[in-house]
Amino acid sequence: MREPSATVFVIDDDDAVRNSLRLLLKSVGLPVQICASAQQFLPSYDPRQPGCLVLDIRMPGMSGLELQQQLNVRGAIIPVVFITGHGDIPMAVEAMQHGAFDFLQKPFRDQDLIDRVQRALERDAANRAQLKETERIRSRLESLTPREREVLELVTLGKANKVMAHELGVSQRTVEIHRARVMEKMAAHSLAQLVRMMLTLRGSAPAPP
Amino acid sequence: MPSSELQAVLDAAVDAIILIDHGGCVQVFNRAAERLFGYTAQHILGRNVSMLMSERDRDQHDAYMERYLRTNVAHIIGIGREIQGRRKDGSVFPAFLSVGRIAGSDPPRFVGFIHDITLRMQALAAVQRERDRANRYLEAAQTMLVALELNHRVTLVNRKGCEVLGYEEEALLGVDWFETIVPAEQRATAMREFDALAQREPRLPYHCEYAVLTRSGMRRQIAWRCVVIEASKETATRVLCSGDDVTDARSAEAEAREARERMLHVSRLATLGEMASGISHELNQPLAAIANYAQASRRLLSTAPTALTDVDEALEQIAAQALRAGEIIRRLRSLVRNHATDRELASINDVIEELGSLARADARASDVRIVLDLRPDLPRLRLDRIQIQQVLLNLLRNSIDALEASPPERKEVVIRTEPDGIGDILITVTDTGPGVPDELLQRLFMPFVTSKIDGTGLGLAISRTIVEAHGGRLDHKANTPSGATFIVKLPAEQGPEA
Repeated sequence: MREPSATVFVIDDDDAVRNSLRLLLKSVGLPVQICASAQQFLPSYDPRQPGCLVLDIRMPGMSGLELQQQLNVRGAIIPVVFITGHGDIPMAVEAMQHGAFDFLQKPFRDQDLIDRVQRALERDAANRAQLKETERIRSRLESLTPREREVLELVTLGKANKVMAHELGVSQRTVEIHRARVMEKMAAHSLAQLVRMMLTLRGSAPAPP
Repeated sequence: MPSSELQAVLDAAVDAIILIDHGGCVQVFNRAAERLFGYTAQHILGRNVSMLMSERDRDQHDAYMERYLRTNVAHIIGIGREIQGRRKDGSVFPAFLSVGRIAGSDPPRFVGFIHDITLRMQALAAVQRERDRANRYLEAAQTMLVALELNHRVTLVNRKGCEVLGYEEEALLGVDWFETIVPAEQRATAMREFDALAQREPRLPYHCEYAVLTRSGMRRQIAWRCVVIEASKETATRVLCSGDDVTDARSAEAEAREARERMLHVSRLATLGEMASGISHELNQPLAAIANYAQASRRLLSTAPTALTDVDEALEQIAAQALRAGEIIRRLRSLVRNHATDRELASINDVIEELGSLARADARASDVRIVLDLRPDLPRLRLDRIQIQQVLLNLLRNSIDALEASPPERKEVVIRTEPDGIGDILITVTDTGPGVPDELLQRLFMPFVTSKIDGTGLGLAISRTIVEAHGGRLDHKANTPSGATFIVKLPAEQGPEA
């Protein structure tokens, strides 16, 4: 199945601001979808859809902050660029604490918005790539036998085959066979690569370059 | 003439008739004399006439008689004079005495006609008393009194009038009032009104107000009440003007008005200060849109120069958004300006809708919806647009504050207009907040009463003052199950304009 293209979702209750953002983003060739309220956006949004949100922090009904929290609850990873007014700095800080990608104070220079949107889209692509990578690693991990899992744990702790054989109470030869199987199943070419995969899975690894 | 006929004539006379000889001995005493003095003729005949006189006149009478008999020069005969008669019971009364010498009598005899003038004297005294009293009133009056002839000459001015004007009475009598007293720029108008008064029918008292110049050149503002004094039904002769010096009152009024304006202004500024965040947000919206549209247009022109439809749309929006921002600033300015009271005939719905952008900005900042439920075709009202907007902003702000802790779906304020069925217009501001706390209900409209931590407690007090100055009422009503409704009742303009 072909990947859906990255889309910028603009959510702002002010007609003029919303439409002007649409035109601005369209002028640099970005696919844009606009929406007048958070309530309208939320049920129609598919978390698999890549892109980013340009979100007015202050809206009647569900505010931008509340939408961000709803998306967090649903595990959506789409980056959010908040648009704020002058008096909204405390809200912007709160948004950043909840994982917002960035924020912009109104009115802003077009380049600032476009730069942030571009970076947000890159981040989203990277996040999605990493997510895909994580999925891949996880499915490989699931193909290991319990004994192979044990060997994997010990290998990534940097234990030598002899030590592992002693700890597992098997022969060194058996450990070597398990280890080769692990490398093969995990599609790892080196110990370093295997370690990085495990770190990725724990979510503490930097995105691959 | 036989003496019986003569007696009948004497007795028919209304005045007392007494005939005496040169020694003062009474020889004739008619019926009227009997009635007047209380003596019978029988009793008095042959006695000296001096017993009919008061003590004062008695001495003089003897002296007169003695002198006349000696010198033959009469001081009373043919002239008459006022005397004091004395009745039998000793009481004294005023009378007019005419005396004649009986022709050819020698030694001379005299006839006296005595007319009782008690009633006339009483009437005269009453008139005099009345005149004295009027003069005292005139002088004691704390109001200026000036009588003018139709040619504007002063014929009377009382003490208060002299006091205010700084002139002696003599200096004013006879002068042309308007030329001398009224400042040049008001002279023509004051004179025209005065002249019209004398012509007008019916001649009703007339009120006017114009300044006077005192002798020292000071200007005093006087409120005049003028009445025409008529010589007959047809002709006016003079106009009496009473004037009260209202200079101090007028300046006190002006000061009070200014103080009130200042207070309203400060309170408006305070309200707007509370709304600042919402308003700046509301201004930012069109500015942000304008910036976006302009920047998008430049990009489109450089990268896709044929995309003119998009650019055209952007330009149209830029213009519209600039107007939107300008409109917000205009509303803001009119509320910030310290303006003079200015009543105009206006549609209350327009006044409310004008407030819309600011009110919504404020509400939006607090996540509150404002619902306008405005009845079309309401009669117009005579009102001070800014002051009424100030009242509505106050009420709205109270409601918005009251909704702070309410769940999002209940954060709604309804502003409604409707006729009350008897000619007035009701404007209600309703919220579903917790309502006015019981302990505040009695003192709700008193100044410095507030339930807000940072409230001045002036909003409702000032609002009520404003509404009452418009001839209306501002009331509170609790909602069921909760919340507050404030009702502004304003009288609709009567007449064809409405």
